Amino acid sequence: MADVLSNYRTGDAFDEMMDAEGSVRPSYRAVYGALTRSTSNDLRMIAESLANNYTQAGVTFDVGGVERPFPLDLVPRVIASPEWEIIEAGVAQRVRALEAFLADIYSEARVISDGVLPSQLVTSSTHFYRAVWGVQPSNGVRIHVAGIDLIRNPAGDVRVLEDNVRVPSGVSYVMTNRNAMITVMPEAFANQRIRPVAGYPTRLLTALRKAAPPGVDDPTVVVLTPGVYNSAYFEHTLLARTMGIELVEGRDLECRRGKVFMRTTAGLQRVDVIYRRVDDEFLDPVHFRGDSMLGVPGLVNAVRTGGVALANAIGNGVADDKLIYTYVPDLIKYYLREDPILANVDTWRLEDDEAREEVLDRLEDLVVKPVDGSGGKGIVIGPRATKAELDALRRRVKEDPRGWIAQPVVQLSTVPTLIEDCLQPRHVDLRPFAVNNGEDIWVLPGGLTRVALPEGELVVNSSQGGGSKDTWVLSPPPHRSSSNRTTLEHSENGDDRDKPRTGVPLTVARIPVTVMPKFSETQRQQEDQQQQANPRSRGC
Amino acid sequence: MLSRIAESMFWIGRYVERAEDTARLLQTHLRLIIEDTQAHEVDACRNLLALMSVDHVEDPTLADLLGILGHDPDEPTSIYSCYAAARDNARRAREVIPLDLWECVNATWHQLPTAPFGTSGAHVFLNWVRERSAMFGGISRGIMVRDDGWQFMSMGRSLEQVDMTSRLVASASLTHGAQWPAVLRGCGGHDAFLRTYSGLYTDREAAEFLVVDARFPRSIMHGLIAAADSLQRVAQNNMMTARHAEPALRSLGQLRARLEYADLDDLITNLNEEMSVVQDVTTQVSIAVSTSYFAAEEPPAWTTEGTR
Repeated sequence: MADVLSNYRTGDAFDEMMDAEGSVRPSYRAVYGALTRSTSNDLRMIAESLANNYTQAGVTFDVGGVERPFPLDLVPRVIASPEWEIIEAGVAQRVRALEAFLADIYSEARVISDGVLPSQLVTSSTHFYRAVWGVQPSNGVRIHVAGIDLIRNPAGDVRVLEDNVRVPSGVSYVMTNRNAMITVMPEAFANQRIRPVAGYPTRLLTALRKAAPPGVDDPTVVVLTPGVYNSAYFEHTLLARTMGIELVEGRDLECRRGKVFMRTTAGLQRVDVIYRRVDDEFLDPVHFRGDSMLGVPGLVNAVRTGGVALANAIGNGVADDKLIYTYVPDLIKYYLREDPILANVDTWRLEDDEAREEVLDRLEDLVVKPVDGSGGKGIVIGPRATKAELDALRRRVKEDPRGWIAQPVVQLSTVPTLIEDCLQPRHVDLRPFAVNNGEDIWVLPGGLTRVALPEGELVVNSSQGGGSKDTWVLSPPPHRSSSNRTTLEHSENGDDRDKPRTGVPLTVARIPVTVMPKFSETQRQQEDQQQQANPRSRGC
Repeated sequence: MLSRIAESMFWIGRYVERAEDTARLLQTHLRLIIEDTQAHEVDACRNLLALMSVDHVEDPTLADLLGILGHDPDEPTSIYSCYAAARDNARRAREVIPLDLWECVNATWHQLPTAPFGTSGAHVFLNWVRERSAMFGGISRGIMVRDDGWQFMSMGRSLEQVDMTSRLVASASLTHGAQWPAVLRGCGGHDAFLRTYSGLYTDREAAEFLVVDARFPRSIMHGLIAAADSLQRVAQNNMMTARHAEPALRSLGQLRARLEYADLDDLITNLNEEMSVVQDVTTQVSIAVSTSYFAAEEPPAWTTEGTR
C-alpha cells in the first residue's frame, strides 16, 4: 500500500497542513490521519464520485459557454478556531468601514473634505454612479453580501487581497461542496466538529427582508439573474431555491409609477426587494447601457423613490475599486477609529510618479492588476509574462495610471491536492462571505477556498479554470464558554455548536406497522400439495 | 407563479411525455415493419414520418427513421431533442422543481446516445426512454406540491398525450391488417383492453377504447378531461385571472363533446380526419394557454431621441 502522502514536499510557501519541519499542524491531524489510511486507488474513487455527483446534480460552472462540473478537490482546507475568530472579526470590520465609506461618498463626502481621500480618486472610479447620489437605503445597508478575498503569505499572516461588494459569487459552492464531502468522506467528519454552512440562505433572506422599503410588513423578495447562460446561473437557482423565493429575469419585471412588479399567472405582483445578480451597467437601460436586454427600464427611478430595495446597492463598485482598496486601512481608522485587524497586501499606486517609476523598472517581478476588474481578468503576472506582454503593459500603464495597481508576487499558502494519483501542494486563497442585515454582520464560517490546479500557478479564479475545496472551520473546544467569544456571533437562527448533543430515549409507545394479512398456512399447504400431487395433469 | 416559469413547466410536461410517446410509437412500428415484408419499408417509414409531420426526407430507410425520431440531436422531432428541450426548461425552472426531479431529467440528458444504433440497439434505447419517463412521472407524482407549477406541467403532459395518442391511433390506418393489437400494445393497454372487452373485439371497440374510454389513462378522452381539470384548478387558484382559462376550456369541451357523441362507425371511417381535428385542437389550446398565461412580451427596443 503506497502512502499517498509519502512524497509530499512543501515548497517556499506556507503549507496549511505541514510546518517547515514537516510535522502536521494540529488542525490537520484528523484529515492527515484519514488520508494516510487511504490508498491512491481510494482517493481516485472518491474524486470520481465527487465529479459524477456534480455532473448529475448539475453543479456546474460555465466556461466559455460549456457547462463543466465545478472541480472540487477531496482534501479540505481546515481553519483552526482561534484563527477563524480573527478572520471573522477582520472581515466584519472591513465591511463596516466600507459601508460607512459608501454612505459618506453618496451623501456629504466628509472623507474628501477631511482630506483622507483625494476627490478625483472617487469621481474617476468607473463604478461611481451619480444616479444614486443621495439615495438612502431604508435600513442603511448597501453591502448586503460581501466577499473578501484573503490569502496567507509565506510568513503565515492572513492578508486581504481584494474586496468584492458588488455581486460576489461562489457561496453556492460552499454549500454544495459540504454536501458532497459529507456523502463521500463521512469518516473524516466523524472525529471532529466542523461548523455548519447551511445557515447561509436563512441569514441572507433575513437580511434581504430587513432591507425592504418602509411600511412593507411582509416583503416579496426575488433573485434577479441575467439568465441561464450566465456563468453563475447555478448559484442563482440554488439561492432562490434555498430561500424559497422566485428567481426572475429582467423580462419578468416591469416598473410602474416607481414600483416594481413581476408578471405572474395571476397578473402583476408587487416586488419589494431584489437580490440582483446583474451588474450595475445592465440594470436599467434608461440610466445605464441602453442596449441592455437584462435590465428593467425604470428600475433606478424606483430605487430613487424608495419603491424597491436593491441588494447590493447600485454604485458599490466604488468601494471595491482596487485603488480605493489601498486606502481601506485609512478608512477603517477614519470611520471606525480602530486599527485594521487584517492588513492589505503591499500595493503601489501607479498614479504616484515615484511609485510608477519604481514599478515600471521592475515590472517583471510584480503583479499588475486593472483597478476595476474582477474574475482574474486583465491581471499580468510579471515573472510569467513575455517581453511583448510587459511592453504592452508598460504602454497601457503610462496611458492610464489611474487604471492600474501593482503588487509583489505573493506565494499563496498551499494545501495538499489530488493531482493524478498523488497529493501535491497547490496554492489556495479564501473568500469568506459576510451578510449585513443592518443590525450586525454575520460571516459564514469558512467560505470558498479556491485552488490553482497547475503546479506553481498563483491565479486561483474559477473563471480561469481553478478548482475548489471544502473549507472546514473547526469548532472551539467545548470547555470554552460562548460568552468569551466576540459579540459578532449570535445564535438567533444560526448554528448551535455549543449545545451538547444528547440522545433522547423514545418513550412513546409505537403502534406496530400494518401488513397485508398472509394466506392461511393451511391454504398454502393445500396449494402446494396440488402441484405435488398432480404434476402431469397441468399440461393436459 | 412567474409566467416564464409556468411556461417552462408546461413544456417540461409536454416534452417528457412526447419523448415517451415517440418511443412507444417507434417501438410499435419497428415491430410492424420488421414483421412486414421488406418491400414496404420505405412506404412504412414515410407514412410514419408524415404522421409526425416530418416531410423533408426522400425515401426514408429504417436508419433514417431511427435518427429522425430517435437519436439525432439536429432533428426537432427526435427523442434526443425532446429531452434536450425538457432539460433546458427544467434548468430554467430549477428553483421550483424538486431536486430529485431535476437530477432525473439532467441525468437522462447526460446519458442520451447520439451515435446511430441498429434495430436491436433501438429496442434497448426505447425501453430506456420509457423507463426514464416513468421515473420522471413517478418522482413528480410522488413529491411535487400540487401548486400552479404542477398544474401547468400536468396540463402540458395531458395535451401532449392527447396529441400523441391521436397520432398513434391514426397510424392504425396506415397499414392494413391486424394493426390494432400492435397499437394497443404500444399504449401498454392491450391486456386491459382484452379484459374490458373479454377478448372479443373489432376495430370499433379498439378505437372506442383508445379514443373515448376515459378509464384508460392513455386514451384521448382521459387526456382531455385531465387537461381541462388542470386548467380549472389554475383558474380557481387565481380568481383574479379566472377568465383567462375560458378560451382553452371552451376548445377542450367542444372536442370532448364531439368525440363523446360521435358515431363510432363514422369515426373509424374518417379516422385520419378526426385525428387531425384532435391535433388541431391541442395546438389551439396550447396557443390559448400561452396567450392567457405566459404573456409573451416583445423585448423592449430603445431609440435615441432627436439628432446629436
